[in-house]
Amino acid sequence: MRRRAAWVTLSTTVIVAWGLLIGTQLAGITPKLGLDLQGGFSVLLEAPEGTDRDVLDTAIEIIRSRIEALGGVQEPEISLAGERNIEVQLPGVADPERARKAVGTTGRLTFRPVLSVSPYGVSPLYVEAAAYQQSEEEAAAAQDGPESTTTTTTGESTTTTEETTTTGQTTTTTTVAEAEPIDLTPVLPEGITLCDLERNENGDLVVPLEDQPGCVDPETGFTLSDDPDKEAWYLNPEQDALGRVEAFHLGPALLLGTDLNDAQAGFSSRGGSGGFGVSSSGTGQWAVFLYFSSEGSAKFEAATEELSHYTYGDDRRRFAIVLDGEVVTAPSLASDIPAGQGIGGGSAIITVGGPTNPQQEAHDLAVVLRYGSLPVALQEQSVLSVSATLGSDSLRAGLIAGAGGLALVALVMLLYYRVLGAVNVVGLTVFGSIMLSVYAVLGETQGVSLTLAGVTGIIVAIGITSDSYVVYFERIKEDIHRGRSVRMAIDHAFRRSFRTIITADTVSFFGAVLLYVLAIGSVKGFALALGLATVTDVTVFYFFTRPAVALIARSRFGETGRLSIMGAAGKTPGVAQ
Amino acid sequence: MSFFSRLYRGDIHWDFVGNRRRWFTLSAALILTSVLALSIRGLNLSVDFVGGTLVELPNPEGVSVGEVRGALTDIGFEGARVQTTGGGEGVRVQTEELDSDQQAVVVAAVAAVTGANPGDASAQSVGPTFGSQIAASALRALIVFLAVVAVFISIRLEWKMALVGLAALGHDVVLTAGVYALVGFEVTPATIIAVLTILGYSLYDTVVVFDKIVENVEERGERHTASAIVNMSMNQVFMRSVNTSLTSLLPIGSLLFVGSFLLGAATLREFALALFVGVTTGTYSSIFLAAPLLAVWKEREEHWQRVRRRMQRKGSEDEFAARILDVVPEAETEGLPVALTGAMPRPPKKRRRRR
Repeated sequence: MRRRAAWVTLSTTVIVAWGLLIGTQLAGITPKLGLDLQGGFSVLLEAPEGTDRDVLDTAIEIIRSRIEALGGVQEPEISLAGERNIEVQLPGVADPERARKAVGTTGRLTFRPVLSVSPYGVSPLYVEAAAYQQSEEEAAAAQDGPESTTTTTTGESTTTTEETTTTGQTTTTTTVAEAEPIDLTPVLPEGITLCDLERNENGDLVVPLEDQPGCVDPETGFTLSDDPDKEAWYLNPEQDALGRVEAFHLGPALLLGTDLNDAQAGFSSRGGSGGFGVSSSGTGQWAVFLYFSSEGSAKFEAATEELSHYTYGDDRRRFAIVLDGEVVTAPSLASDIPAGQGIGGGSAIITVGGPTNPQQEAHDLAVVLRYGSLPVALQEQSVLSVSATLGSDSLRAGLIAGAGGLALVALVMLLYYRVLGAVNVVGLTVFGSIMLSVYAVLGETQGVSLTLAGVTGIIVAIGITSDSYVVYFERIKEDIHRGRSVRMAIDHAFRRSFRTIITADTVSFFGAVLLYVLAIGSVKGFALALGLATVTDVTVFYFFTRPAVALIARSRFGETGRLSIMGAAGKTPGVAQ
Repeated sequence: MSFFSRLYRGDIHWDFVGNRRRWFTLSAALILTSVLALSIRGLNLSVDFVGGTLVELPNPEGVSVGEVRGALTDIGFEGARVQTTGGGEGVRVQTEELDSDQQAVVVAAVAAVTGANPGDASAQSVGPTFGSQIAASALRALIVFLAVVAVFISIRLEWKMALVGLAALGHDVVLTAGVYALVGFEVTPATIIAVLTILGYSLYDTVVVFDKIVENVEERGERHTASAIVNMSMNQVFMRSVNTSLTSLLPIGSLLFVGSFLLGAATLREFALALFVGVTTGTYSSIFLAAPLLAVWKEREEHWQRVRRRMQRKGSEDEFAARILDVVPEAETEGLPVALTGAMPRPPKKRRRRR
């Protein structure tokens, strides 16, 4: 290599490598740490064999929204792993147990009769309490006793008030809510409590919601802890055709998700009224076909019989399907079902009257009915939670091991190869800078995180990288022994050893690719680190080691003195030939 | 000149092939020990393979394994395996697979004894089927890898070398497994990966050695016996192998050391022990096992028999083969006049340059 070319290549490489590191650090881009290094929770779920890709994607979406509902998770990573595995990674999650429950469970599905509906997204309980408070104030103004108010708070009266409410009334309730929280206590039915939302210093509830079944949020009046045996107040977050968001007051569950054997979306001949009905042949509109278990069949018949006593158009003729604290849909019993007659036979249909995409709507509803919220039953394959302290301990251990390994290698190379060893030491810093920058950039753009396995891979790669130097330096020594001059030797040795290194790194690289493709989890991180390291190794060898050695050969460290290349080859004056 | 400065200059003339019986005996003994250890003690498989729940907690009170076990027995988890980690700084409890409620109970019980904050618990839970899945995928990776490598060596070098290389590889893997059985370290997916890495490393080392042999055969295959050429090649690559192993072993040793004495570094240790043993045996087996095996096998080929006979007819001394003939079994040397001078190999005077 010519001196000028060598200088240009060498300085470019060093500036680029170190510059990258400094640049990424200054820009605040640091390698993204895996959850085993910063603490967190991960779970690998498996879907049954033959699960559709679409279904898995739906499941991933649902899990993602559940995690977001949990709150407090930095960057949840939910991805498809292999053919039917879903990997959920939640770095830095504080409460792994809650996360584990949120991720894996299929969700609780209940069928509840509707007691009353408020169309503007405000809990009927709240509306009731507001009305109660108003009447209290009026009563107080009229110097009247509180006994008379009991009648105004019955279900009947509230329902009718609401049927006739205008936008005007909603605004009043909202303004009241803003002014001063309304006390829900006087209107709470028997057995329903207000949730105790007191939190301890960690931000966790003092009394977990699970231990307060059926409790109601004291501010909004919606049920926070689902109990099928108690009345509940839930919202259907979807806007209906008129742009309303319905809030329901529901009775205790009459059927559970387990009473349902199957649900299928299909085309039905039923038209017109919509809602729950019986199937008949022919074509008409999209519907969901429900098939109950023998026990569920009896329950459903009894439940629908009760509903049928109310006239069509009354909210109490509606039957709400509730999943995980949200009303999915609340269809009314069809108009052609006579009073006093339930739907028997163990099957029923729900016709879907959505204006936009009834097929999609029917399909989604069937999925919800079949699997709870998740479209497939997912099985936990492996669950891992790492505490933040263990994570930082691991990181520290990895860094210490890496630094120790680097120092030892540098020491041995310096002792053994003298000035060439110095090339190796600087080369290792170039190698390290490139690896760190690559990880930082990959973490920023691709979401690739550096795991403990990856750190290990890099440390192992320090040794493998040094092999390139050893191969080259041994070649140089051999050529010098054969009587070549230093300059001749380094050029010849480079050509020979570069071929060897390319072969070596090709093998390692394909080994890493093979591992990356075939393996799961932590192994992938190791394979990635190894693969990146081999590519970096070849780059550093060609663009750093070669010009560096060429320049040294031309300097006074080339031929004279014990520290020189000649000296490293054992051919210094003073050493016996 | 001292031994070390000769070594440093690469000026060594050791008879690797001649001393092969010593190495073969050593390897046989090591393999026997490993097999015995494996069959008696067995491998300590991690929860990833057998399924179960693993809970790790700090141990600020420094309580003993017995105390933790007692606390667990009190709440009905009798079969739990309890260990301390990181030199007593942590506690590890392994039970059958637990759901999140049971796990919380175990964590609370252990935390109460060790004085740790339950929030600092780390846990891993693996279903029983998943372990077999991991094992199966590792096995699949192994088979694909071996097949690819065997084909690669057969094409680039020759099939006998591929076979010998794989034999050396099997040796390395058995020894590594044996060490795991003896030491009782856990076999985790990380270990499997380390073993896969070793396979690559060990094979590559063998390939470098064989590559040199092929190069030397091309240059002087008509003038020297197979054993002599193997011997000479070994002397040429010896220092490179030693140095490469050394630079690889130093960081791995650092991992092993740190992993054994610092909390939270169990993964490091799992990787490192397999790598450490594997790299060591890999270097050893490619020099002292694979190469002599190949030499013995090659000597039986017609070409090399002819070379040997011709050299004896001419009465010329095979300076490289000198020592080797000594130890060739009787049956093979019968009827051959033994021409020995005991001279050591030295670089030939004429050399063909390779482009």
